[in-house]
Amino acid sequence: MTIEAEGTITHQSFGLGVWALTASDTTYELFEPPPELQQEGLMVKVTGNVRDDMMTVAMIGPVLDIQSFEILGS
Amino acid sequence: MKKWLLLLLFLAGFSWAIANFQGLSAQGQYDSLVFDFKESLSTAEIETKVKSLSEQFQTDLTYNSEFSLNDHVFIAKGDEKLLNTIKKSGIDEFTEFVEPNFTYQVSFSPNDPDFDKQWNLKSINMESAWQASRGRGTTVAVIDTGIAPVTDLRRTRLVPGYDFVNDRKNATDDHGHGTHVAGTIAQSTNNNFGVAGIAYEAQLMPLKVLGRSGAGTVADIAESIRFAADNGADVINMSLGGGGESQLMREAIEYAHKKGVVIVAAAGNAARSAVEFPARYPHVIGVSALDAEGQKAPYSNYGAGVDISAPGGSLRDNNGLGGILQNTINPRDGSSIFAAFQGTSMASPHVAGVAALIRSIGVQNPDQVEQVLKQSAVAVKDDASNYFGTGKLDASKAVSLAAQKSFGFHGLMGWLRNGLFLGPRFWFDARAVNWGYKLLMLATAAVIAWLFRLPWNWPMGWGLVLGSTGLFILRCFHLVDLPHWPLRVLGSSFPELGGAIQGANALNPLTANVLMAFALIVFFLSHPQLKWFALGSSAGITACLAVSAFVAPQVVWLGSTAVAQGFLAINALLCLALVYLASKSATRSA
Repeated sequence: MTIEAEGTITHQSFGLGVWALTASDTTYELFEPPPELQQEGLMVKVTGNVRDDMMTVAMIGPVLDIQSFEILGS
Repeated sequence: MKKWLLLLLFLAGFSWAIANFQGLSAQGQYDSLVFDFKESLSTAEIETKVKSLSEQFQTDLTYNSEFSLNDHVFIAKGDEKLLNTIKKSGIDEFTEFVEPNFTYQVSFSPNDPDFDKQWNLKSINMESAWQASRGRGTTVAVIDTGIAPVTDLRRTRLVPGYDFVNDRKNATDDHGHGTHVAGTIAQSTNNNFGVAGIAYEAQLMPLKVLGRSGAGTVADIAESIRFAADNGADVINMSLGGGGESQLMREAIEYAHKKGVVIVAAAGNAARSAVEFPARYPHVIGVSALDAEGQKAPYSNYGAGVDISAPGGSLRDNNGLGGILQNTINPRDGSSIFAAFQGTSMASPHVAGVAALIRSIGVQNPDQVEQVLKQSAVAVKDDASNYFGTGKLDASKAVSLAAQKSFGFHGLMGWLRNGLFLGPRFWFDARAVNWGYKLLMLATAAVIAWLFRLPWNWPMGWGLVLGSTGLFILRCFHLVDLPHWPLRVLGSSFPELGGAIQGANALNPLTANVLMAFALIVFFLSHPQLKWFALGSSAGITACLAVSAFVAPQVVWLGSTAVAQGFLAINALLCLALVYLASKSATRSA
């Protein structure tokens, strides 16, 4: 399932840490995010696939496999 | 005769199985005394007596607590010698009693230096649970990022697992999460290093389904569940979640449950109502997380699907000390580190570890294990949002309840593994003898008897046992307040008698020699029945001396030297020659 989402990048302390996108209604766990997005507080707009076939150690929300992104600011 | 030998072997095996049970061997210790003054005395009279006693016996009598003066109870530093002196001093006139102020140790506290930082294990009462079980005989499959062989897992037994991510047998960890989870379940404990784990005598089965990023596919996870069920796992821990409902996964869980596997999974960390898959499937015990104060951790999922709650920690608390501390790897360089993590990932292995303890005690059916976990959990009142499931995990209550429910064959096996409670006045210390040596002596004696074709009758059998090992199980029993030496002597073989009377573990050369065998044969060789006793005894003495010579040549006055070894070996050879000659004579006259 492809979705578009806008929100803030956060780093959450589960296990050794995980990158997340906190959107208005959902927190997404970012699956292997590109290095440019690995920055706390970054405002971004992303397009990606929600991976319903995946499970993770972080369990903070749907897993988002980013296809493309746009940095809106920090 | 064979039945008798089988019985003996059973008894030996039985005792061997409880060899590691330490809980009942702790004798009462004290370094202070309790004085209870008579009720008829006034406070002033008591104060006068206290002062004079303190001066007379050079020890300060003090209040035990703020209630002590009213209760007329005082304590003073003192040992057995002082106690005896005081008792003989006519103190009965104004005291109800004077007695040792025993320090009670009803729980097992491991020597791992950072155990003090594991608030989580204390909060589920692990110290008293370890008295009953440490998970021996069970296997816990850790479906996670793999398990790395970090220092504090060195003594933990691992069984072969599989890496479903890279399709290889070595399921090591390149992330750090799985190793941490494995540590909570079975970190090497009481090893003077690092931290403790719950079921540290259980075996771990590493199943890697999550890659370096901490994510993995439902297909791999489902396959690993079937692998665990097919390869002897008793408990599965899944500190993972997410994704949608999957028929493949549901069937794998059904399959494992039908095969008797207890399945535990984390509720999830999205702070939302309803747990993640796989915790949401039937037959999976869903675990929510508690912080160090016993409250629901802020991140923990709750509501539908939470069966029980357990410590998951919270790094917001106490400058990070509110997390769960275990040994894991630093994924950057693979080095071994101790790290505090938070999450329902950390809560789930607490429940899986306790499930292993319950299985070890003998409750096998996964539904019954779940029932024990839930019934023994500490219920939380007014839990309208189902933060806690049936309650907070309590390892101590869980093992007690499991012990009550574990009748039947599996219960018996559990009792054999974990020990027997014989009561406060009567205990069994299996460490009093070296079971390996004793069994070796018995086996050697039996081989000698077989080689010289001694007939398998009662006198010969008794001789064989009394000559080689004696009724050694008796050495393990202790009766409080009674001297141990009679049991020690009764539990000794003929060569060990000298040492047993002395109270030494070493053999005394006055009894550990060929003379005893020689005397028995001289006296009884002409007797139709007792000659077999004499021959059996001599074969047993040969075995005892020979095994001691090669395995543990400890002789009073000679130490563990080559001289001691030579002394025992020569006497064993002389004994063997004696049995050979006497058996020929006895067989001819039979």
